[in-house]
Amino acid sequence: MSVGDRPAGEIKRPKRASTSWLAEVMPFVVGILIWQALSSLNVWPRVLFPSPLEVAHAFVADIASGVLLVNLGVSLKSLILGFALGAAIAIPLGYLMGLNRASRDFFDPLVNLLQAIPGLAWIPFAILWFGLGQGAVTFIIVMSVFFPVLHNLLTGIRMVQPVLIEAVQTLGAGRAAVISHVIFPATLPNLMTGIRLGIAFGFRSLVGGEMIASTDGLGYAIFNAQQYFQSARIVVGMLAIGITWLIMDRLILRPIEQRTTMRWGLVREGIETA
Amino acid sequence: MIPAGMTDILCAKDVSKTYFDTVAKDDVVALSGISLSVREHEFVSVIGPSGCGKSTFLRIVAGLDKPTSGEILVSGRKVTGPGADRGMVFQEYALLPWKTTEANIEFGPRLKGMPKDKRRAIAQRFVDLVGLKGFEKKYPHQLSGGMRQRAAVARVLANNPTVLLMDEPFAAVDAMTRQRLQEELTTITAVERTTVLFITHAIEEAIFLSDRVVALSGRPGRIVADLRIDLPRPRRWEDLVHHAGFIGYRDELNQCIHANADAHREPA
Repeated sequence: MSVGDRPAGEIKRPKRASTSWLAEVMPFVVGILIWQALSSLNVWPRVLFPSPLEVAHAFVADIASGVLLVNLGVSLKSLILGFALGAAIAIPLGYLMGLNRASRDFFDPLVNLLQAIPGLAWIPFAILWFGLGQGAVTFIIVMSVFFPVLHNLLTGIRMVQPVLIEAVQTLGAGRAAVISHVIFPATLPNLMTGIRLGIAFGFRSLVGGEMIASTDGLGYAIFNAQQYFQSARIVVGMLAIGITWLIMDRLILRPIEQRTTMRWGLVREGIETA
Repeated sequence: MIPAGMTDILCAKDVSKTYFDTVAKDDVVALSGISLSVREHEFVSVIGPSGCGKSTFLRIVAGLDKPTSGEILVSGRKVTGPGADRGMVFQEYALLPWKTTEANIEFGPRLKGMPKDKRRAIAQRFVDLVGLKGFEKKYPHQLSGGMRQRAAVARVLANNPTVLLMDEPFAAVDAMTRQRLQEELTTITAVERTTVLFITHAIEEAIFLSDRVVALSGRPGRIVADLRIDLPRPRRWEDLVHHAGFIGYRDELNQCIHANADAHREPA
């Protein structure tokens, strides 16, 4: 009998962590070297193909002037606000639809139609309703975050094993206890996946939205740099966007998602990307 | 013979179940006129071929399914839905993955609003009883199949049900573990004086565990035998496999089930 066996993942983890650092950095080093080599060939004009060194200079300059951090701050503020609003609507609506037949029948057709419309398609109305600026961007993010959160939550509620509900019912659980002790914890992993995807979708819309519907933020910054042929600053903005996402995803979102699933030994199944 | 003074704790009265088969697009009669009484402290097994509706019957007793006609009385009260007086152990364990062994076992008392120290003491008693000492803080996925089923049994017993319902609880564990769990179950139910309604398709399992074995025919399920098992307790497999009485019951039930496997199929 496998009495007290630890799950395989718990044993393997430390070993992987020791080798991963180098393995993760290596591709970037190689990438930068190739990039540097290509730009020193001088085949393309500098303005179309900035070298890593120019980008590094621009990066230092943008940090020193504070421009980069100000734009990052603006973008993160829109993202957090948009995500919070989107999730604050999607999560209660998801549980309502998942637990109440009538509301599911009512909202399902609407949700199905609206989720087929990309968040960026709301840009024209966002500008009409909120004007150019953070209000419009936040609205676009709300529309982008809402559906992946809702969709994954509904999937999670559908996947709750009926036998768990029946088991607690024969222990005396009423509807409230079923919801708080079975439905909520059972849907938590899917909800976390939905939140992670929602932020990912929101982040993409953030950059797109800022390019068209705003006058500040990282998306606006790279769009603006293009108009002045500051190609190194475009790369700085792009890298800032990429690095910001990596930090958020690796340090915050993924660990939260994994902790819930690993601790309970749940297998993630049927999780869709909306 | 039934000792005098024992009262019926569970009473099924002419229970029938018809459901609509969405694939065949036809009504299917799963159970037909089941009447059955279970006395206090009695261990009753219901056996029958697959599809005879024995699990459906248990689910109706649990209140998880509704009968098409007839009724179930537990302690004289009509069953209208699931309740803590009829705790059920499922084949697939059905422990809550986000709760430790201990938290799973004390879950029933917790729902009743029992204070923490009191319900923890109860949980500990049943942890010890089912042999899970040292695994109180483990999550279900860290336990083996046999240990999970022990925890599931403890979870229901800790809730002090009027009758313990078990739906093929040992079908998913390996043969060695199964025999051990069966022996443990006879010991535990003897200690706790539990009334048990046990569903299985395994004839020997039913005889080994029970005071009474009720056999259902093939679909639609109806009672074709109701046999009192008069074997000494405590029961151990090594003693019983060669016991003449055990072999006699087995042959009798085997014959009965085979003779009635299809005999009662109603004309289409």
